[in-house]
Amino acid sequence: MTNGLDHWLKQATRHSSGDSTLQVRTEIQEHYELAREAALERGATAEAAEQEALTALGDAKAANRQYRRVLLTSAEARLLREGTWESRAVCSHRPARTLLPSLAVAALLAAAVLFRTGTAVAARLLLLAGVGMSQLFIVPFLPVYTPARSRVVRYVKLGCAGGDAATSFRP
Amino acid sequence: MNFKGTLPALILEALVQEPRHGYRIAQRIKERSQGVLDFKEGTLYPALHKLENQGLVESYEGAEKGRPRRYYRITRSGRAALAKDRAEWRELSRAVTMILGEA
Repeated sequence: MTNGLDHWLKQATRHSSGDSTLQVRTEIQEHYELAREAALERGATAEAAEQEALTALGDAKAANRQYRRVLLTSAEARLLREGTWESRAVCSHRPARTLLPSLAVAALLAAAVLFRTGTAVAARLLLLAGVGMSQLFIVPFLPVYTPARSRVVRYVKLGCAGGDAATSFRP
Repeated sequence: MNFKGTLPALILEALVQEPRHGYRIAQRIKERSQGVLDFKEGTLYPALHKLENQGLVESYEGAEKGRPRRYYRITRSGRAALAKDRAEWRELSRAVTMILGEA
């Protein structure tokens, strides 16, 4: 790869996620090669052909702005990873996929029953456990596959954590 | 020539007859416009990805002269969008011609 193209690609993929960078590099390199070969066939020198192919790509910063609107940036990819780490942990084991969410639901149901029967301390403990487990084991089954939804899940988790803390320290 | 905003429609038109890869799409647009529409090719792929996200084109792995290439083909929704863009362009063109006169 020429230095000029490498520099162009670095600018065009600035802040892009690993997958997006790979995609951009592959398609632009293919395009550049075809443009370079076409220039050589028209009789250009090797240096002129490379320059022509690079010039045809245009401003790398402008391309970067447009790519960032349609492909994942590294920040968005990190947000998705952090927002759905439970998915990878829970969904990778088939028995856990059923068992763990069931435990969360069972804890919440048991807490409701204990609240009704007046056993408040045990009910509160089960409620805390149920909410905690729900965050860990039910989120993977929600359709969280966009940065916007991932942000919502993150705020809901923070809200639940706050609620948990408030419930724990309530006299 | 600046033709900002019309690139998606031009891409869709370039794919009506047959699937093409990015470089051939760029060549097709330039040839059909007889070199008048000479856009920066680095902006072609973001536009293609946007069309793909919108479901107007779909891509698949192909090969040309033994080399792997990502080909794009227009979808049914893409054809409908192109028909709408064509109608809007004709109306706009007619209106501007009424004001500025024939070339």
